[in-house]
Amino acid sequence: MRAKLTLAALCAAMLVAAHHFDAARERTVLGARDATGGGARLRLMTWNVGYAELEDDTRAHTSDLRAVADAILKNDPDAIALQELTGSDQLKVLLGYLGGRYRGAAARAAHTDRVEAVLVKSSGARFEDVPAGGRYAVAATFRPRADAPEVVLVSAHADAFRAARRREYTESIVDWARAHSGQTVFVAGDFNFELDARDESHLYTDDLKHDSEAYSYLLRYFRDAGREAGDTAINDRRIDYVFAPPAATTRRAEVLKDAPVGRMDHMPLVVEVGL
Amino acid sequence: MFTLLRIEFTKLARSRGFQLSFAALAGFVALMLWGFYTYAERKTGGQAAEQFRYTYESKSYFNGLTFALYSLVFSFSLLVPVFVAATAGSQIAGEARAGTLRMIAVRPVARVSLLLSKFAVVALHVLLMMAFFVGLNLLVGLLFVGWGDLQLYPGPLNLVDEPGRIARDDALWRFACATLTGTWAMLVVAAIATLLSVVCESAAVATVATIAIYLALYVVGRVEFFEQLRPYFFTTDMDFWRDVFKPQIPWQSLYHYASLCGAYTFGALLAAAALFDRKDIKS
Repeated sequence: MRAKLTLAALCAAMLVAAHHFDAARERTVLGARDATGGGARLRLMTWNVGYAELEDDTRAHTSDLRAVADAILKNDPDAIALQELTGSDQLKVLLGYLGGRYRGAAARAAHTDRVEAVLVKSSGARFEDVPAGGRYAVAATFRPRADAPEVVLVSAHADAFRAARRREYTESIVDWARAHSGQTVFVAGDFNFELDARDESHLYTDDLKHDSEAYSYLLRYFRDAGREAGDTAINDRRIDYVFAPPAATTRRAEVLKDAPVGRMDHMPLVVEVGL
Repeated sequence: MFTLLRIEFTKLARSRGFQLSFAALAGFVALMLWGFYTYAERKTGGQAAEQFRYTYESKSYFNGLTFALYSLVFSFSLLVPVFVAATAGSQIAGEARAGTLRMIAVRPVARVSLLLSKFAVVALHVLLMMAFFVGLNLLVGLLFVGWGDLQLYPGPLNLVDEPGRIARDDALWRFACATLTGTWAMLVVAAIATLLSVVCESAAVATVATIAIYLALYVVGRVEFFEQLRPYFFTTDMDFWRDVFKPQIPWQSLYHYASLCGAYTFGALLAAAALFDRKDIKS
């Protein structure tokens, strides 16, 4: 009887210990400094405003743009990277809803029916296409404040279905950013990386390695500033990112869970960094 | 108790299963070495496609520590549990099948003590297997692949969220820790097999049932449809053993899952003891 009581006590002790030790990780924002500290700040947002895969048209719907504009105005980012717009016409509608507070440009369309766009508050912003993996991303160069250094934001959208293409695309983006080493470059967008092996249901492929390679290559030159914010898309996926230069410190990283409307499958990610 | 342990260990050490487990693990290491060596040669050679040149396909990545880690991770989930289940599953049911259970049960020794001594010997077997396997992998890695730092990347092995590196000496300590955490995690399988060994009359049935339960939960836990059920599987909790290979060991999480594994182990042992104490031995 004594042995059985000992086993029962050990079992109970283990359950108490499991309850005592929290399985959740201690979350800290990487490189965070005192939020009251000085220095220039930059607030960025990235949002794939397209629809889930099962819809007839998975691109952004013009009827949703009013809500997109409201979410932007409410959070007041300095610059926004948008993905899956149908083209320049939709961007014009959105800029109209934003009441002239932002300027923007859509990427050149190439072999695709949807484009990325970048919006900035700064009136002196310059825009340019970024060739990447047979497609185009789009970049804006601007000063968030008159006394702040010039920064570049690239809006990117990697292939949703082929990991090898995502890798090639990401490498092109990073190489483009490295060529602009004199400037402070941020890269934001939907990269569709699948890095959690537990959710990997396509066995016997190199997909994980392709995504791991692409993500690791990005982290050679950037920090994943939104890592602590959590999932950004349905089915508990974190596939939208803001990559910041190593010197930039993350002050806030948040996923706006209530912002999506219609059948959007992504949530906007807002990151505030100190420059 | 010491006499019981000595007798049980002698029986185990003389069994074919004990020797076979070490031979099979050594064979697995040889197979891994062949695969790893040819893969590394192909991927880092002049004809390489250079798809993963920043991470996996560099000569510094393919070193003995990486080899040992891959070998350990692959075998822990699907190879080691088979031997643990076979050893533990045969402890009571094997005696019943051989017709010796009644004889050992009539000795002036409490049945629970007998069961616990058998489990202690199984635990020792698991520890020896893990230590042997880790040591052999490191030795083979050192001799045939060469050493360097342990480089980790997000994705494969699912260990890190961002690229990380563990210095060689630190990594060796991590392998020593993995021997202990791996043993602790594997005791869950051993306890369940011991419980089934009490319930079943055949060692083969107890072993197969244990492996079936383990594999079913392991596979189902990997299917996305059952994502909501995953936290309730002991196979999910057992995965804590490899947290020691993360550059920053998440101690709170490690203690949590280690405690859950302990609860499974002692719970199954308690059930086994209660059943064995009342078991009507007919063989």
